[in-house]
Amino acid sequence: MAITESPRFVRADGPDKVTGSGRYTADMNLTGQLVAKFRYADVASARITRLDVSAAKAMPGVFAVITDEDVPDVHYGSPVPDRTLFARDAVRYEGEVVAAVAAVDAATAQSAVDAIVVEYEALPIVADLEASMAEGSPLVHERWETYDVGDGTEQRPNVASFSSIEKGDVQAGLDQADHVVTSRYEADGTHAIPIEPRAVIAQWEGDKVTIWTSSQVPFDARNGVCETLQLSANRVRVIVPHLGGGFGGKCGFHFEAHVAALARATRRPVKLVFSRREEFLAPDRRRESMIIDITTGVRNDGTITARTGWVAVENGAYTADSAFFPQLSAMHVAGPYAIANVFIESSLVYTNHQPSGSVRAPTAPQACWASESHNDEVARAIGMDPVEFRRRNLVDEGIEGPSGQVYGDIGVRRCLEAAVEAAGYGDDLPADEAIGVAVGWWPSFPGPSGAYIKLDGDGSGQIITGAQECGTGSVMTLRQLAADELGMDAEDFQLVYQDTSAAPYDTGATGSQTLLNNGRAVVESAKEIAEQLRELAADQLEAAAADIVLAGGNAHVAGSPDKSVSIPELAGIAAGGELLIGKGSGTPPEYPSASATCVGDQGMAGWAGPQFSCHAIRIRLDRETGVVRVLDVFAAHDSGTIINPVGARGQVEGGIMMGIGQALTEGTRYGDDGRQQNPALLEYKLQTAADVPTIHTTFIEVPDPNAGPRGAKGVAEAPNVPTAAAIANAITKLIGRPVRQLPMTAERVWTTSNTGSEQGGES
Amino acid sequence: MSESFDLEVNGVAYPVSVDQSRNLLSVIREEIGLTGTKEGCDDCECGACMVLLDGQPVNSCSYLAVQAQGRSITTVEGVMQGDEMHVLQRKLLEEGGVQCGFCTPGMIMSAHALLDRTANPTPEDVRIGLSGNLCRCTGYAKILAAVEHAAAELG
Repeated sequence: MAITESPRFVRADGPDKVTGSGRYTADMNLTGQLVAKFRYADVASARITRLDVSAAKAMPGVFAVITDEDVPDVHYGSPVPDRTLFARDAVRYEGEVVAAVAAVDAATAQSAVDAIVVEYEALPIVADLEASMAEGSPLVHERWETYDVGDGTEQRPNVASFSSIEKGDVQAGLDQADHVVTSRYEADGTHAIPIEPRAVIAQWEGDKVTIWTSSQVPFDARNGVCETLQLSANRVRVIVPHLGGGFGGKCGFHFEAHVAALARATRRPVKLVFSRREEFLAPDRRRESMIIDITTGVRNDGTITARTGWVAVENGAYTADSAFFPQLSAMHVAGPYAIANVFIESSLVYTNHQPSGSVRAPTAPQACWASESHNDEVARAIGMDPVEFRRRNLVDEGIEGPSGQVYGDIGVRRCLEAAVEAAGYGDDLPADEAIGVAVGWWPSFPGPSGAYIKLDGDGSGQIITGAQECGTGSVMTLRQLAADELGMDAEDFQLVYQDTSAAPYDTGATGSQTLLNNGRAVVESAKEIAEQLRELAADQLEAAAADIVLAGGNAHVAGSPDKSVSIPELAGIAAGGELLIGKGSGTPPEYPSASATCVGDQGMAGWAGPQFSCHAIRIRLDRETGVVRVLDVFAAHDSGTIINPVGARGQVEGGIMMGIGQALTEGTRYGDDGRQQNPALLEYKLQTAADVPTIHTTFIEVPDPNAGPRGAKGVAEAPNVPTAAAIANAITKLIGRPVRQLPMTAERVWTTSNTGSEQGGES
Repeated sequence: MSESFDLEVNGVAYPVSVDQSRNLLSVIREEIGLTGTKEGCDDCECGACMVLLDGQPVNSCSYLAVQAQGRSITTVEGVMQGDEMHVLQRKLLEEGGVQCGFCTPGMIMSAHALLDRTANPTPEDVRIGLSGNLCRCTGYAKILAAVEHAAAELG
């Protein structure tokens, strides 16, 4: 097999995207189409005492108004089925859908939404994480004990999922310490903010529905429609046109079933397009707010003797895919360090806020920010340079990590050294500049996936894959994998993707898993075709199939390149008989074992294909205003083998810019009424082109045999894990104490610097 | 109140009859049928709806269609030069400046306006010129490089 280096990888969907011809969901329209709009709760916590849609239904141009009464009685959500499509009896956050309207145009639909009468009896608003967990707190879900939760999910009052990681004896470890350092950190929630607001179109034909939607996970979306509208999988076809970004915000199952239900009720195609404000308020996917308490025992030589942690992760009003967040956050509070004695407990806490869900490396940027800031505090307590402190404690090959997993060949130490060396760490800097360093990690997510490949009679290929392209380019890269197996060019293949009725299952653009899992499936499929081509060529060339080599678009006999037949010729022969079709899913990598004791185990203690990263970030601080400017980011990443270098660098750069936003400007503010106070891009500030630092990326390529094709691990989520932490450590160097709230806005930096208000510290 | 007039988009005069309150973006997308121009926020914050109005970049979400009468509008569909991609389009692909692609049309229009008015932009000119267009995928670095390389090629 020849591996093709592609220094100038031009994505197959690129021409569509730069010419404006590419169609995203909102760009499509169907004849007779109606417009959907939702009536939202607008209050954070209340009992519904009256819901009257009769006036809305009677309006001219209104084709349907539907509520909870019009859809099957289904609680959905895995592993915590605490949701219904429409509010039933009560509303638990401001963006909860109470009713849906389909009307002839947007203005009519909005008038009908406004004409729906909803009366409420106010209920207490649960907003604070600690208050929510306190005994006697009002319950966000009064009947939580009746929910049929999945095995292993540990629930408590107002806690949807609890996990702990316990190893060794933390009290003994703390007793051995020369210093014990305790810290508290608090992170605000943030949003994914893909630039494309979501859109859904549904159309029924007989008893089958086709749904075009801006989903990152079309099979999850289909399964959600099947579950909530009680349809078989072969009656629901989900197609994703071009997808305008997701970052996890478009994972899960959102509004496809609402629109499908409207389309069924009206016997018309129905289209929903969200406004930016709706994007902020309604989806059950935003990055969770967190409170993180950490205590570390350390000896004067830098050895960590014990770490304890208490973590509260905000779930919001309903449980999306977040049940594994507690255990994941606990791993990040521990970090990639060899710690003998560990006890970390983490709770996913209900509030009357928007639900949380998988946004790019869920829980990790916040937890890494806390633990890596804390690690700098620990280093200061013993008078050790923070980089040296990390050198003393980082995991390595053959070393047991905090959950008891013993690692293979990993690049974490090389990441640290590469980043600090590139940054010139330790060199003199101007008085208003500093370099902060942080180390992060992130798992790969092995899972089921499938693909087919067919070669037509002219030798051109099609890859029919369940994978979803969210912008990363990883689906585009699949062509190269098939081409390399078959001795063909990537350009010989077209992709058929993002259609649940065409392709086998894939978990979608989630968990940085496309190349890891679907790459494996595509390689398996291509191998089947390669075998068939070799058999055909063996007949033509009168040689053994095992001696046939596929290269340069031909099949030739090994050692005799002139004894060859072209692949198109073989495909032409096959077209008259046995068709050239390959299928594959392959065996996913195994999840390694971890020896720690875990209550509420969600499978996150042993990581397959662990990715490592180190960011060394140089900042400048304006002490008068507290404004931080990021000047240079030196990023070193072990994501295993890098197959598409341009695409991988793009992921690192994008992740870092998102991380800078989380560090400095991005955060949702809530009012006492439980409502978001800044649900608009004017008040929720993203980084712009004018803010871009110089980003220097180094890949530490350590192939992982228990990961994806050629030893590739995931790439897309890891880059925004340590960014905020590195910036925090730089800020602390300049102002002398950590900013304990995320984002570290100019106001918070200035206040911390000038008033000395902070909690925690050495005890 | 509805008004009938011609809108000149990419050199073609389209007769439209629309309510005076309609924004230029919705008329370009829904009446004329050119969907390359995107709506990302309806708030002048994201730049996905950027078009050129007599060569000047304008957020079409916040510009009334009736105000564009008698003026020349360019959208991303009008950037190609015959069958050839504009150097900006080509460089964006070569540099890896396109990921999800939703911000790309607006980026191209802002960059186009920048290169039209500044023959040899400095890196800072490019950063400022694109600062009204949000991108969540790329971290901007490859977009900035693409525009700088395009400027160099245009000389």
